Formats: sequence, C-alpha cells, structure tokens
Amino acid sequence: MNQHPTGERMKACCAAAYSSDVVSLLLGDSYHPGGTALTRRLADALALTPAARVLDVACGRGTTALLLADAYGAEVDGLDYSPGNIALAQGAAQAAGLPGRARFTTGDAERLPYPDAVFDAVVCECALCTFPDKARAAAEFARVLRPGGRLGITDVTIDPSRLPPELTGLGARIACIADARPLPEYGEILASAGLRTVHTERHDQAMLRMIDQIEARLNLLRMTARDKLTAAGVDIDAAPAAFSAARTAVADGVLGYALLIAERTAG
Amino acid sequence: MTQASAPRRKVDRDEVFVEFTKSICPLCKTPVDAQVNIRDNKVYLRKRCRDHGQFEALVYGDAEEYLTSARFNKPGTIPLTFQTEVKDGCPSDCGLCPEHKQHACLGIIEVNTGCNLDCPICFADSGHQADGYSITHEQCELMLDAFVASEGEAEVVMFSGGEPTIHKHILDFIDLAQARPIKNVNLNTNGIRLATDRTFVAELGKRNQVPGRSVNIYLQFDGFEERTHLEIRGRDLRTFKQRALDNCAEAGLTVTLVAAVERGLNEHELGAIIEYGIDHPAVRSVAFQPVTHSGRHVEFDPLNRLTNPDVIRLINTQRPQWFQKGDFFPVPCCFPTCRSITYLLVDGDPGNRTVVPIPRLLNVEDYLDYVTNRVMPEAGIREPLEKLWSASAFMGTATTEEQLRATAEALDCADACGIDLPQAVKDLNDKAFMIVVQDFQDPYTLNVKQLMKCCVEEITPDGRLIPFCAYNSVGYREQVREQMSGVPIAPVVPNALPLADRLTTTPYGSKTVHAEEGESSS
Repeated sequence: MNQHPTGERMKACCAAAYSSDVVSLLLGDSYHPGGTALTRRLADALALTPAARVLDVACGRGTTALLLADAYGAEVDGLDYSPGNIALAQGAAQAAGLPGRARFTTGDAERLPYPDAVFDAVVCECALCTFPDKARAAAEFARVLRPGGRLGITDVTIDPSRLPPELTGLGARIACIADARPLPEYGEILASAGLRTVHTERHDQAMLRMIDQIEARLNLLRMTARDKLTAAGVDIDAAPAAFSAARTAVADGVLGYALLIAERTAG
Repeated sequence: MTQASAPRRKVDRDEVFVEFTKSICPLCKTPVDAQVNIRDNKVYLRKRCRDHGQFEALVYGDAEEYLTSARFNKPGTIPLTFQTEVKDGCPSDCGLCPEHKQHACLGIIEVNTGCNLDCPICFADSGHQADGYSITHEQCELMLDAFVASEGEAEVVMFSGGEPTIHKHILDFIDLAQARPIKNVNLNTNGIRLATDRTFVAELGKRNQVPGRSVNIYLQFDGFEERTHLEIRGRDLRTFKQRALDNCAEAGLTVTLVAAVERGLNEHELGAIIEYGIDHPAVRSVAFQPVTHSGRHVEFDPLNRLTNPDVIRLINTQRPQWFQKGDFFPVPCCFPTCRSITYLLVDGDPGNRTVVPIPRLLNVEDYLDYVTNRVMPEAGIREPLEKLWSASAFMGTATTEEQLRATAEALDCADACGIDLPQAVKDLNDKAFMIVVQDFQDPYTLNVKQLMKCCVEEITPDGRLIPFCAYNSVGYREQVREQMSGVPIAPVVPNALPLADRLTTTPYGSKTVHAEEGESSS
C-alpha cells in the first residue's frame, strides 16, 4: 500500500486499520493478487511491442517493471510512493542488468512526474483501489498516455451494497483493501478521464489466494508480534469469522478481483 | 430395409499422448521405449517389452500439476567428477555418467544387508539373513571419498541398510563422515536400538554437537494402528517408536518420521502422523513415501498405486483445518514430479494449533519458475527457497535452519511496519516443521527422463554414485549384493497383480520371474 486513503467510506470502515502499519505487513509490499502469472496476462492484453514505453504506477519493488523489461522488451518507468521500495527496485534492476530499460522514481500517482503523452502503456496493479482521488489518478493516467495508448489495471472489486456486516473492523482490511469499487464503477471513473474500457476479465481466484495469504500473515504476526497486533487494535478473536465472511463474499460475487484494459481516446 | 453402407467413423483415442521416453521391462529389465499418457486427469506410463508384453502404471495422480510443474525445473549442477562413461545409454551406464543432469543432493551408504526385522515391506530385501554383507571401514572411506570427490563440500550423507544401527562400526562410520567435508549425517533406522540402547543414543547426541556438523535421525514410522505395524513391519513396534523418540529428545537429536504409505494399509493415518510429529519435541519433519515397489512388498495394482498428488490430497482431507491445495510445492532440484515439500510454522498447544504453511505467505511459484521468470527482483528470496525446496534439506541441519530464517527475513517489511520480524522469527525456529512427499520409481513406473536428473544417489562399495531409483529398479542392487556377498541374487520383480502368475518368491521374500517364464521368453 502506498497511500493512506481519506475517502468518507474509508473513514467509516477502515479508520482503525489504516492508523497502523500492521496493514502493510498483512498485505505485503511485494505481492499483488495473481502474482506474475496475472501480470503476464495483463501484459499480453496490452499487446506490448518491443521498445514500448510503459509506466508502472505503484510499482512496489519492481517485480512487474523488470518482468516487462526482460520478457517483453519494454522500456519501463516505475513509480512508487515508498522510497524504500524504489531503492530496492533500483538495486534489482542493476542486479538484473536492466538499469537502462527499467528506471524507478519516487512519486505520487495523483501527480505523475512525467510529461504528457509519452507512454504507450500504463499499468497499475492492485493500487487504484487505494488512491483517495481516483478521478485525479485516472486523469493523470490519461494525460501521460499517448492517444491510442492503453491502460492495464488489475484491482479489487466490491459491491458495497451487499457487503456483509462481518466485513467491518478487521474484515474491512481484507474487504475494502482500501477504497475498492464495483468493476463498472472503475470503468466510469476511467471513462470520465477519456479512457474507454475495451476489455475486462474476472480473476476472483486471485482474491481467494490473497485472503489465504492475509490470514497466513496474520497468524504469523500472532506468533511473533502478538502485542503489536493488539496495540494496533486488531481483534484476533474476530479474525476467523471475518476471513470466513470474506471467502463467502468472494463466492457470492460481492468481493473479487478483476483485470481491465482501457484505451485513451484520441483528442 | 437395407443398411446403405454407412461410412466408417473414425474414433478418438481416450488419452492424451504427452511424452515419448524410455523405461525398462519390469520382468527382464531390458530398456524399452515408453510413452506417457493422460486419462481422466491422471498420468500413466505405458511400455512394451518384445518378450514380455505390455505394462502400464499410474505415475502421477494430477495431470494438470504434472504439466504445470515443468516450469519449476531448475537447471542441474554438474558434479565435480563422473564415475562412468556413456556406453549403452540410460539407465545402463550408472553411474554417474556424464549424461546425468544433476549432482548428488543426497548420498546414501547402505552399510549392511542384515536387519533385526523382517518387514513384509522392504525395498532393500533385508532381514535376518546369514548370506548378506556388511561394509568395512576401508569400504566406507572409499564410498565417502567418492561422494566428496563428486561434491566437493557435501551437504548430507545418509547411512542406511539393512539396519545401520546393528552394524558394529556405525559410530566409526559417522566419525569418518564427520572428518570429511560432509556437513550432515542422517541415520535411517527402524529405531529398535534407539529405543533400547541409551548409551548409543547419547553417542549420537554427542556427534550432533560437533561444531559445523549434525547427526539427524530418519525414523521409520508408519502409523499408530497395530494392523499397520503388523502388515508393514511384521511386528507391533509402537512402544519401541515412542521410546526411541523420547530417547532422541533427551539426547537433543532431531528426528524425521518416515512413513511408507500403502493403499489399503495406512493411507488413513497421514494426518495423525503429522500431528503426532508436531506434538513430539524431537520431531521436526515427516516424510511420506508411497511404498516403493522394488524389493519386498505386498501385492499391488500398478494402475491404482499412490502417487505424490494422492498423498497430498489425503493429507489435505485428513487435516483440512491445516492444509489445502497449493500448500505443497514441487522440488526443482530433481524432476519436480518426484518430490513435493511444504514447511509449516506451528504455534499453540497440542489440540489447539495455529499452522501456517509457508507457501501461503509468499508466491513460491513466482520465485522457483525457471522457464518464464528469468529476472526476479527479490533474489534474496529465490536462493533460500531453492535450498529449502531441495532433496538435501533436512530439519536439524544448519543450512535448512538458516534458509528458513532468510525466508522469514525476506517476508519482512521493516521500513513499513516497524516489526523486527527476523528477530521475532528467531524464536520461531523451534516452530518450523517440514513435510516431504516423495514417490520413488520402481521397475513399473521408471521413466529415464526423471532418472537422468535424480539427485538422490546410492554410493556403491566400488565408488559409483547410482541414482536411487535406478539402483532399486534396474538390477544394480542385485549386482552389488552378489559381488559383495558372493551369493547369486535373482533379479527382483515387482509383486504386481498383473504379473501374479509369472512370479515366484526369492529366498529373501521378494519376487522374481518364474523359471518357466524366464525360459519361454529368453
């Protein structure tokens, strides 16, 4: 996670969670649902050609950027809010012998430090849901894309009207991995910024895997740092019910994960 | 009404042909062409011998995983020396010959053929036998030197048999190993001596304290029911096992429980074995091995044998609160379909455990994919994972503990969350638990594709390193025993249902081809 969301609904359901960095340990810095397999699917859907210029917004430690540079021959810029992640990503690019084709910068997704219309593609994995001002971020994606350029997103989806009551408190951290929206709403936000959705896919299995991972991480913290969890206000006893509700929500289509490709309309 | 000659319809095969390979005839051991086919999401190996006909066996119970695991195949490492030359091709030139694809992660030295048990199931065909052999100090040194010449610094040697603890020089042999650049010794035992001779256990414990060296116990442990013991071991050994484990705990020895698993015998006891292991202070891992249908064993159906995915499914079913699909991950150093491993972090009290399988904490497949992921930013994770998912990983060794720690450190997000996870995980060391599932090949299932990358080698008294499954399947074991003991040894044939009327029993209880069959077909 690289932003602290401030939206109204977030305040209601996730305030306690995001007051603590425990959340970032639970979610992990280097992992997004679907792993590199889903990243490849995203890259294929973007039809990246060699030497395409690609921007990875919220690039974490550079896993995706390096994959795109190495396997797809792309020229990649990675942007992340965390200087620690950027340092790790730069080191990894050096180690992989790709520093010329993968550059990393610390910065804010809502104020992209790049000129207009320079990228052939923008990718953003499991991060749009965390941006407080999604319209602003979408406008920035559109601005840096050249006309006809493509945006590839994978992200958490929720149906807020059907969210079960257990998914508040700790559950909120799983369910509203920040400020997730229904898939059509992501499409609307992007459309307002001049990004026309051309393709969507559901990948709810990746969400289930992420719930497993969060539960495993919570259990690990329970073994190693129980007092910190308690201090952060995590109700460990409520966890099993929350995880169970989250899995049911995925099965019911209330909570999920999706891939979306949008194209910047000319003009 | 006349049937106007209806056009003949072509019919589709009921299987997907995925591999053309080589195997051996289970009766005469002649190398033969073989094919691997998929039916109903299961993988079968089929072959035909010119003299003995067609044979087919189930080799993997999950076809999808069989195919997808291909990308977790790590490029092999070339050993420092080879002992033989390529002449007749695999599997006739063992070994290792220069065509072998992997070094020895684990070397096995069988110190004798004698045993204080006569188990109905024993791939080594051992027992109370007067006509076997025991190796000498000189032979042991030669074997250890061959291993070191091949490996440089070797990770693990396993002393096996027969029953190695009844060899009167077994402690000397451990000393010989520890005097060489071999980091860890594993003692593969039925536990009778460990249960009854505390001085011996203390001597092992002492050797486990040698700086930079460890001695760990690989204890035969098939289950808890009397029937399991009687059918697999011929004797109720339950109190022996308990006492052996308690003595090991007292001597500070780390134990792996090793279960031979057979359909219809103890396949329902897997979850209980894991739970027992987690609860016992000496035990840090469990190894499940579907019974190797080499040597002596009970009659089996080759089309309905247990394979790695079957064992894993049974584990998941028997402890659903702890395990689910995906918790086990194939091992890249050998062929990924040969062995699967998981590591657990375990907390809480008996009966109320929190169990975290490490593969749920991170995407192991992203780090151990050698085909599609050439660059991974977090190289700091791949290396420890490679060493953990390896045939040389054993709990109780410094290497494995270090890599567990390194993995935990890699999970850290120190800048973000301020929890010093590595420090916290140091306290976790006693809480880590390993489970291995390994399906060894037999004369029915042998696929040279896997054999050529085998990393578990039998070290022979003449200084060769022979892949374990070749040693047990192709006839090398019989040759070595014959040379060492001077007693002719009949070629061993699997006690498989379809072969029943062509087999006869050897003096050691295994099966061989009926004399008439041998003549009629030769």
